[in-house]
Amino acid sequence: MSEIATLEPGRWLDGKLPENVTLGRNTIVRGDLAFKRFQSQKQPALVVGEHCTLDGVHFALGENAKVEIGNYCCFSNAVLLCELELRIGNYVVIGWNTTIADTDFHPISPAQRIADAVACSPLGKNQKRPPIVAKAIIIEDDVWIGPNATILKGVFIGAGSFIEPGSLVTRDVPPRSRVQGNPAQVISTV
Amino acid sequence: MKLDTANRTLPWDWYPGTIPSNVSADESAYLETSYSFLLYRSELPEGIRIGRASSTYLGTMFDVGPQGRIRIGDFSCIHGAWFICDSEISVGDYALISWNVVFMDSYGVSTDPAERRKQLEALAFDDRRRMARGALAKPIRIGRNVWIGFDCVVLPGVTIGDGAIVGARSVVTEDVPPFTIVAGNPARVIRQIENDELTQTN
Repeated sequence: MSEIATLEPGRWLDGKLPENVTLGRNTIVRGDLAFKRFQSQKQPALVVGEHCTLDGVHFALGENAKVEIGNYCCFSNAVLLCELELRIGNYVVIGWNTTIADTDFHPISPAQRIADAVACSPLGKNQKRPPIVAKAIIIEDDVWIGPNATILKGVFIGAGSFIEPGSLVTRDVPPRSRVQGNPAQVISTV
Repeated sequence: MKLDTANRTLPWDWYPGTIPSNVSADESAYLETSYSFLLYRSELPEGIRIGRASSTYLGTMFDVGPQGRIRIGDFSCIHGAWFICDSEISVGDYALISWNVVFMDSYGVSTDPAERRKQLEALAFDDRRRMARGALAKPIRIGRNVWIGFDCVVLPGVTIGDGAIVGARSVVTEDVPPFTIVAGNPARVIRQIENDELTQTN
C-alpha cells in the first residue's frame, strides 16, 4: 500500500497542462510540442490512465475531439490527429513516427474542397468549414504498433494484435492478428 | 569529428550534450549534434565506430542498448536515421541513408502480449522511463554503396547487398540481393542494376 500511496500525480514535464486534460497517477508526458495543436473544447478532452509513458507525442485534437488512453501505455513520437474520438486500451505500445488520424481532413467533393481551402485561408477567418468525414478509432488492449505505421479513420484494432512497422491500416484488424503492408493485410496470428 | 577533446563536446553543437566516451569517429567524420546520443546506452568498449569522411545529421538517433554495437564505414551519409540496436547494425562504405529511416535489429518488446505487460509494468517504475528491451535481436547488415530512400524501415536480421537501392517508404522484411532495386511494403525486387563500379572511372 505504501508504494501506491507515494505515486506521483500524472504530469507533463515541459509545460502547463490544458485544464481539460487529466493524467492518471505515475503517467508522464514529455515533449515541448505535445499540446501545440491541442484545440479541443470538450470537457474532458483527453483522459489518460495510470502508469503511461508518452514521449514526444503530438496531441493534435480538433475542437470536438475526445481521446481516452488506458493504463500502462507507452508511445514514442506518435502523432494523434483527432477530430472526433479515439479510444486506446491498456498496455498499448506505439512506435516512433506513427500517425493515427480519425478524419479525412478535407471533403472529397471538389466544390466543397474549394470552400474548405477558402475557409482555411487567412481570409476565411469567420467562414464555417464544410462537413468532413470523421470516424472514431478504437484500439483494444495489448496492441503493438510499430514505427512509421499509419492508422486511418474508423478502424478497430482487436486486442493483442501486432501491427508491423510501416503498415498502413485502412480496415478493421481482428483480435490477435499480425498485419503488414500497404494496405495492411493479415499475415498470421499472434 | 573535431572534438573538444577535454570535454567531448562538438564546437558547433546547439545541444548541450557530449559524445559518449565509447564512441569513436575518424577525424574527418562529421557529427552534426550530440543530441543523436540521447538514447545511447551501449556498455561495450566501442559501442559506435564511424569511419573516414562519414557524416550523421540532425534527426539521426542512436537508440542503442547495453550490448548494442554500430559500425559505419567510410564516406557514408546518414541523413537522419533511427538506429534501434541491441546486437549489431553495420553500414558499409559510400552508403546514402535518407531521413526518417528506421533500422531495428529487434522489435524492442516481446511479441507475446503477456510478456509485453511485464515490460510495460517495469517501465512505469523505471527511473528514466526507458524500456528494458527483451526481444531477440538479429543483426542488420547494410552493404557498401547502398542507397536507402526516406521513411523506410529495415526489420531485424535483414542484409542489404552491395550497390542496392531501396525506394522511399519501403519496409524491408527480407534480404536484398546485391545490385538490385527494391521498393514497396513489404519490399519486392523491381529490377537488377548493372554493376559498373569497375568499368566506369570517377
